[in-house]
Amino acid sequence: MLEDTIIAISTPLGYGGLGIVRLSGKKSLPIAKKMFKPKKSKAQIPPRQPILGNLYHFEQKEFFEEAYLTYLPSPHTYTREDVVEISCHGSPVILEEVVRLGIKAGARHAKPGEFTLRAFLSGRIDILQAEAINDIIQAPSYKQVKISFSQLEGSLSQKIASLRSQIILLLSQVEASIEFPEEGLRISAKQISKKMEKAIHDLKKLVESYDLGKTLSEGLTLAITGRKNVGKSTLFNSLLQKERAIVTPYPGTTRDYLCDKLNVNSSIFTLIDMAGLGSPLHLAEKEGIKRGKILASQADGVLLMLDASQGESTEDFKLIEKFKNKKTILLFNKIDLPQKINKKNVKSRAESLPALEISALKGTNLEKLKETIYEFFVPQQKQAEEVILHLRQKLLLEDILDCLIDGLRLLKEGHSEEIYAEEIRKTIPLIGQLTGEIRTDDIIENIFSRFCVGK
Amino acid sequence: MNFVDEYDVIVVGAGHAGCEAAYAASTMGLETCLITIHLETIAQMSCNPAIGGLAKGHLVREIDALGGIMGLLADETGIQFRLLNRSRGGAVQAPRAQSDKALYRLTMKNWLEKVPNLTLFQGVVTEILIKDKKVQGVKTLEGNRLLSKAVILTPGTFLNGLIHIGLHSYSAGRANEPASHELSENLKQLGLKSFRLKTGTPMRLHEQTIDWSRFTAQPGDKKPVPFSFRTQKDLKNQILCHIGYTNQKTHEVIKKNLDKSPLYSGKITGVGPRYCPSIEDKVVKFPHHQRHQFFLEPEGLETAEIYVNGISSSLPLEAQMEILKSIPGLDQAKILRPAYGIEYDAVAPTQLNHSLEAKNIKNLFLAGQINGTSGYEEAAAQGLMAGINASLRIKGRKHFILGRNEAYIGVLIDDLISKGVEEPYRLFTSRAEYRLLLRIDNADKRLTQYGYKYGLINEKDYEAYQKKQERIEKAMHFLQKERIIADNKEKLRLKDLLKKPEVKFKNVVEYKKFNGFLTDEEIRHVESEVKYEGYLKKQEKEIARIKKIEGEKIPENTNFRKIPGLTREVMEKLEEIRPQTIGEAKKIPGITPAAAMNLHIYLGIQKRKSEKGEMFHVKH
Ligand SMILES: Cc1cc2nc3c(=O)[nH]c(=O)nc-3n(C[C@H](O)[C@H](O)[C@H](O)COP(=O)(O)OP(=O)(O)OC[C@H]3O[C@@H](n4cnc5c(N)ncnc54)[C@H](O)[C@@H]3O)c2cc1C
Ligand SMILES: Nc1nc2c(ncn2[C@@H]2O[C@H](COP(=O)(O)OP(=O)(O)OP(=O)(O)O)[C@@H](O)[C@H]2O)c(=O)[nH]1
Ligand SMILES: [Mg+2]
Repeated sequence: MLEDTIIAISTPLGYGGLGIVRLSGKKSLPIAKKMFKPKKSKAQIPPRQPILGNLYHFEQKEFFEEAYLTYLPSPHTYTREDVVEISCHGSPVILEEVVRLGIKAGARHAKPGEFTLRAFLSGRIDILQAEAINDIIQAPSYKQVKISFSQLEGSLSQKIASLRSQIILLLSQVEASIEFPEEGLRISAKQISKKMEKAIHDLKKLVESYDLGKTLSEGLTLAITGRKNVGKSTLFNSLLQKERAIVTPYPGTTRDYLCDKLNVNSSIFTLIDMAGLGSPLHLAEKEGIKRGKILASQADGVLLMLDASQGESTEDFKLIEKFKNKKTILLFNKIDLPQKINKKNVKSRAESLPALEISALKGTNLEKLKETIYEFFVPQQKQAEEVILHLRQKLLLEDILDCLIDGLRLLKEGHSEEIYAEEIRKTIPLIGQLTGEIRTDDIIENIFSRFCVGK
Repeated sequence: MNFVDEYDVIVVGAGHAGCEAAYAASTMGLETCLITIHLETIAQMSCNPAIGGLAKGHLVREIDALGGIMGLLADETGIQFRLLNRSRGGAVQAPRAQSDKALYRLTMKNWLEKVPNLTLFQGVVTEILIKDKKVQGVKTLEGNRLLSKAVILTPGTFLNGLIHIGLHSYSAGRANEPASHELSENLKQLGLKSFRLKTGTPMRLHEQTIDWSRFTAQPGDKKPVPFSFRTQKDLKNQILCHIGYTNQKTHEVIKKNLDKSPLYSGKITGVGPRYCPSIEDKVVKFPHHQRHQFFLEPEGLETAEIYVNGISSSLPLEAQMEILKSIPGLDQAKILRPAYGIEYDAVAPTQLNHSLEAKNIKNLFLAGQINGTSGYEEAAAQGLMAGINASLRIKGRKHFILGRNEAYIGVLIDDLISKGVEEPYRLFTSRAEYRLLLRIDNADKRLTQYGYKYGLINEKDYEAYQKKQERIEKAMHFLQKERIIADNKEKLRLKDLLKKPEVKFKNVVEYKKFNGFLTDEEIRHVESEVKYEGYLKKQEKEIARIKKIEGEKIPENTNFRKIPGLTREVMEKLEEIRPQTIGEAKKIPGITPAAAMNLHIYLGIQKRKSEKGEMFHVKH
């Protein structure tokens, strides 16, 4: 067990500005070197010194992020093995990518508590500490997987369960026809390949839904919408702290929509500015409004802006009506000017929505706005471990998928049952890691409950 | 103590396990006594007149490669031979033969009588003599004591055997043979936990009362494949088997009579095997099936008895006759022996070590049906291993344990010892993690060295084995070296050509001449080696990796209750089974990977403690 090198994100994910990915084991440095290139290319990486460099994406052959690497040679480390720490931007997207690359380069995903376990095994910590980590190790990982599944995507675990029974059935059929050649159970290669294709199809969808889940929670889109001239572009610029959008005193300034990354407490959002809604004066504006409406309805969250220096209009009410069932924050802008709007009246039409009074121009209440965005849009803080499991699930699903694809290929090439059965058999422990162990007896039991065999 | 005789090894019960055990021990040079209830029923096949099949045929090959006798005997007394799964790859092919039951029995007796150091003795063992938790010998019904250094127990289905036919039941070890009650009681007193299992056998019919025109004949192979690597003689098919089917009427009869079934009336409490279901089971569990297949198999050349494979039952005789009446072709058939079910005691095999020695009694070995298995081959394989291990123990040598990656025998014994059994255990190829590696065509390559090392394979046979390996090596070299020009003008190794699913060795040598000779058996071996090459290499790597992790020893004096963080259930399981390694611990049902990890941690602490001396002290 101590032969392999393990990798994991070792800071709570995503919300602390900086993130650390840690490797431990003999191959830590060689693996790290594959994905980290120092700025000043030195012949050797000095121990115990953070060196600045770039993370290198060896699959896409490009640099993707600045990072520090610290090499801590054995034995004076936490685990007493060679340890490498890569510190970079704390975005979960980047951290998970680093872990994924590390695995591709030869590391293995650490099990929960495994760094501590290694520390213990190498004699670094004593029995009392070991007992303390016991709790972590105790929980079988699939249980955590299940919990995180039910919290994050309840339906996913159902899909995995159905995948599990699909594969058990598939294997039972192949095995039964191998074990009982006398009893006319032979099912055709065509039937088997149909079943495999179905499983492959379902698996692919599962892997995709993982990606979907990820963008939903980690790359949320936020659209600023409202009538013309209420100050959307002004807010866009102030939040980004750069003059990104054109601002003029004239309504209908923004036509094409604009996107940029917004960092709130290290959570990354895609912020969208768009054309103001209202009767268009221009063909280009009309098109812009149309696109804006689509964007706003597709966005994960909406900042609905009203001009507080103007009286509320039916146009405003229509917008509230449209977005009140979405994740929307109500903004009363231009509070630096004399107020004409009846805030009570407006709020009564959108009681469930959080509302804020701001001045985009003067920057009033913008920090408060960021806080509200963070609280309102970022799902409850996820534990590092949980997110790791999340990635593990995806990797496991991909491994299962690979086996089945190989199996199907072998079948189509005309190989005999026991050969492609080997590929299906390989998925069993993998599925086991997702959903709880599958024993050979489960397969055999399935054979006997499904087929009347035996003399 | 007064005693009549003294031996190194005493084997109790001359069934399939006992015969192999006694043969191995005496051949390894130990004075051996094989005690059995009737000398006439040595190696009696209690049930079907056949040896082999998937996984079972694999076992016979392995027994043979180790120097056991079952393979030779099956070849000698076989009357029809088939290699199953011929259309599939070598890993899932296995030989099966119909045996002449009487001849099998007589030949075994005859062979054993000629083995030096081996004494056959007729008697009923009632007690195992123990002193200081160590075996001393056995006591028979007549009060005779026979002393020995080791005892191998192979009493089959005889422990508290209870036969059921309909709602009628009587005590027996097999039809009309006495059950062993005293021995069963004695084992309980010795602290060995037992449980009830159940099995059954179909009726035997008179050949001339069957209308054979109603059934489809099933001939043997044109070119029979022997079980034994050492069989020289040409095998001949001398009989036909026949295939038939039950029908809706049969099923009506069965349903109507279920209240008279000891199984469905709740009279039988033992657990029966799912893979050997009675016809009652088949009809109840698969109500939508229009018919069930059965085979008519002759019990031998010199007998008219026909075994009805597939209609095992414990319904009353009248119902059995009614079942036959419902099947065209059997409607006039006369029953010579009724079908029956039998319940018996098995000893929980988790109480044994991998050497098949009882954990709590030194030099007491258990093998065969008593360990919860079913089947002649499963019994013989255990008997052989128990015989070898008892002998090694007496000689003061290290035990002989086969890994799951080495042999089906390893899978079988490991499953028994580490997982225990809940129903009669039968081997399947799918129980093996490394199925492509454990083949009939390489059983000798995997195991013959051991047989030779322990003196069970003689010089002559070992030499033949080595010659065979040389021939194979030459062929492998040829396939590796020689190339042809493929259709796409690229050079192609013969080996890669042979890897293609449709290509056989004989096709390859059409391109390039092979200056060597290979038997059909050897050709099958070469084909498997090449076709599975990629998998075999990967599996070897995997095996090495796992070996390292799982090999970690759990000291015998480990107090599992002291391990922090284990649930009570896990502790109890560990206490009961007392695994010897982390690998074994992991296999116990209910032991999560986390618990195994925890155990691993604890052992690490203990080890470090003893290395450093008591550096720190844990307060409780
Ligand atoms: C009715 C029946 C149906 C079966 N059906 C099947 C089946 O469908 N499929 C299958 O695979 N297997 C079946 N079997 C099991 C198969 O027969 C056994 O698995 C196999 O024979 C076990 O071998 P063994 O050596 O352990 O015991 P056995 O072959 O049972 O031999 C035990 C020997 O021990 C002797 N013995 C017992 N007690 C004593 C004693 N106290 N002292 C001295 N000698 C003693 C007996 O005389 C006997 O010779 C069936 C068995 C029976 C009885
Ligand atoms: N006093 C005051 N003026 C503001 C505030 N926010 C925006 N303005 C002014 O309002 C005018 C319109 O601002 P924009 O940001 O272009 O408004 P918009 O909503 O993007 O307008 P369109 O793109 O035309 O839909 C500009 O003159 C801004 O300076 C504010 O908070 N206070
Ligand atoms: Mg604008």
